Amino acid sequence: MPPKPKAAPAAKPGSTGDILAAIRAQGAKGGAAGAPVESTAPKAVVASMAAPAAKSGSTSDILAAIRAGKGSAAAPTVAAEAPAAKAAVKPVAAATSGGAKLSVEEMLKAVRGETAGTAAAVPALAVPVKPALPPMPVKPPSAKEKKITVELGRRSLLVICLSPLVLAFASMAGAALLWLLNLARFMFPNVLVEPPTKFKIGPASDYPLGGVSTKWLAARGVWIVHTDQYKGQNLIYALASVCTHLGCTPNWLEGEQKYKCPCHGSGFYINGINFEGPAPRPLERVGIKLASDGQLEVDKSVKFQEEMGQWEDVNSFVDGALA
Amino acid sequence: MNSLSLITSCLTLGSTDPHPNVTPSVLYGLGWLYLILFAMNAVWTWKSYHRGRHFRLPEFLGGMDMPNAAVWAMYSIALLLVSVTHLTCASVPEALRWFVMPDFAKSAIDFVVADARRYFAVTTFGFIGMLLLRNWLAKPNVGWVLLNLSLLFLCVSLTDWDFRQIVGKPDNVPIVAMLFIVGFFTWLFFYRANENDRRSALGKGPIEAENNEKVLTWPDLVYTEMICMIAVTALLILWGIALQAPLEEPASAVKTPNPSKAPWYFLGLQEMLVYYDPWLAGVVFPSVILGGMMAIPYIDFNKLGNGYYTFNERKFAITTFMFGFLPLWVGMIILGTFLRGPNWNVFGIYEFWDVHKLEALNNVNLSEYFWYGIGRPLPMAPAGADFWTQAPYILLREFVGFVAIGVYLGVLPMVMAMTVFKKFFLRMGFLRFMVFSNLVLMMAALPLKMVLRWAVNLKYFIAIPEWFFNV
Repeated sequence: MPPKPKAAPAAKPGSTGDILAAIRAQGAKGGAAGAPVESTAPKAVVASMAAPAAKSGSTSDILAAIRAGKGSAAAPTVAAEAPAAKAAVKPVAAATSGGAKLSVEEMLKAVRGETAGTAAAVPALAVPVKPALPPMPVKPPSAKEKKITVELGRRSLLVICLSPLVLAFASMAGAALLWLLNLARFMFPNVLVEPPTKFKIGPASDYPLGGVSTKWLAARGVWIVHTDQYKGQNLIYALASVCTHLGCTPNWLEGEQKYKCPCHGSGFYINGINFEGPAPRPLERVGIKLASDGQLEVDKSVKFQEEMGQWEDVNSFVDGALA
Repeated sequence: MNSLSLITSCLTLGSTDPHPNVTPSVLYGLGWLYLILFAMNAVWTWKSYHRGRHFRLPEFLGGMDMPNAAVWAMYSIALLLVSVTHLTCASVPEALRWFVMPDFAKSAIDFVVADARRYFAVTTFGFIGMLLLRNWLAKPNVGWVLLNLSLLFLCVSLTDWDFRQIVGKPDNVPIVAMLFIVGFFTWLFFYRANENDRRSALGKGPIEAENNEKVLTWPDLVYTEMICMIAVTALLILWGIALQAPLEEPASAVKTPNPSKAPWYFLGLQEMLVYYDPWLAGVVFPSVILGGMMAIPYIDFNKLGNGYYTFNERKFAITTFMFGFLPLWVGMIILGTFLRGPNWNVFGIYEFWDVHKLEALNNVNLSEYFWYGIGRPLPMAPAGADFWTQAPYILLREFVGFVAIGVYLGVLPMVMAMTVFKKFFLRMGFLRFMVFSNLVLMMAALPLKMVLRWAVNLKYFIAIPEWFFNV
């Protein structure tokens, strides 16, 4: 056991390598506990530990330290108990008394308690010296066999319910509940920033037969369709621009004469009937009528679904002959 | 258009073509890409040299021993030359016409991928081929050749304008990266699994049981984690600087971008929505996928493969999971990302995204097939009938679909229990087997419906739009 290398880690404190080495040694201690005693193994450990500590801590040192630690953990090391312990105590003590700065070992020692700290500083000392466990706290007799024996009669329940603490919490909960209910008021705003659902779209003559007008698409989300493609009737009606698959806005493709949805490829004929892609039902009509001033008036608050037979409703179209 | 004529037109007319396939800046960038490829292969050559493997040349070439590294060295030098040519001759595109994807190859590839049927067939058969050839594919040299081929394909394809638009979109860059990552980890799995399978054939335990040296959390794990964290953070910062976030115009309720795509990880679900009703594809199936994954540990009775890589000991489980993950999830993400274009039509990777591309997608419900098939009109309630009068008519109209679904989910599991999955049934017991078989059948329902849609334009098995109930 050469004492010099052993002294090195303690004397040259402060590199991360030292700290890691110390931690490693701690790990080795556990692994080596049951291993057979060998006199050569500790030497190797000491040498490997001394090397990184001699230089100050670069990353390679740290890694070397880690590897060295691994070696010591894997090898069946240890512990020629008495000589190692004897040799170790000296340098540690010297470092503690001589150095003005606190070494890492000392700090570790302070943290871990004395025995663990010594073992960390000198790997050869990796002897499982466990500090005696503090005695388990004994249960005080008062905690042992205490049972609530209070009988809760009707009267005492009432007393508990009327206690100031319960009353205070109850009133607080009540106030919170009222406040939550108050939020429902926001469901009915004073002002609705939406265009009115009823709007005039000009005379029927603006919408010639066979055309789909996208004039109101951006502002109101409807196409005005004048077609005789639905059951041979000449009709003007308004289709909501909402795909019946998942609610995207389809595009009207003039060249192909169809509405085509960009999301999943649903397609609708000019009259709004679905024919391709996943849309399960036709586009919905909204209300339309001839107003008293001769203009057409669209009412988006009502809708008419073809599959429910609602397109027969007179409010869902106007006669195309008006155009 | 012929690429050569395009190049010459580029040269003579300047930038008249709005969609030039080859420009000096593209070629210059490709030069750097080839240089990276060269560097990768140089490292590989060096490793191969140190590994010191040899092979024998065929007789007509002299029949002597050659180190593998020699071949890699020649390939690397070729890449270096290509790179230097690109970097120095970028302004003279006609000098580089041999490194441009030829038109016949473009049309051949587009012919395959610009059709969901062929695409799905290619991915499915590719998946089966991968399982069959796993021993060969998992060799390091084969894996490296595949990586090189895919990167060369990328390089050569980048000379196409349309390909650059779809692959270079900031949205899609991570998906290109994902393809390589998925490929690598699949390869890695087979590499490890093959090794263990070979060992178990020799009667040895898995390699993981042999190298089970334990390491400490600190510092082994924590250091690794910290280095990974730093690397990923650096990568994200670089990425954030290099590629701008793909922001679009302000949203408008009446204008949907065309095509409108979900986030990339949901593109598999979006593809499913083309074939199934929203409540099924958007709510039921995702829940079944999640619930089914949670149920796997309770369904699985195979104790093997616990804590080590293997394929042979868990053939059914791995094949089923991989089929769900690779062709049905990743494959659908690729389809949604690179192949779906305006109006959700399918486009080839070298094809211009024409908004007016026409694709016939007229679909027919099963009930219509049945009733028109037997020459009768669909049963329909008299106009203005109330719900209770309508309901029997609707149920009669759709009864074929109900029977079909009932047979598929109710009777088929019994048949499976008596035939192909007899062993499974005996091991699992009734309840577990029913859960298992229904999960498998629901997974199979997606490709089944896709094939039926493509083959006979089937829209829905059960179509009751009146009640928002479509299957």
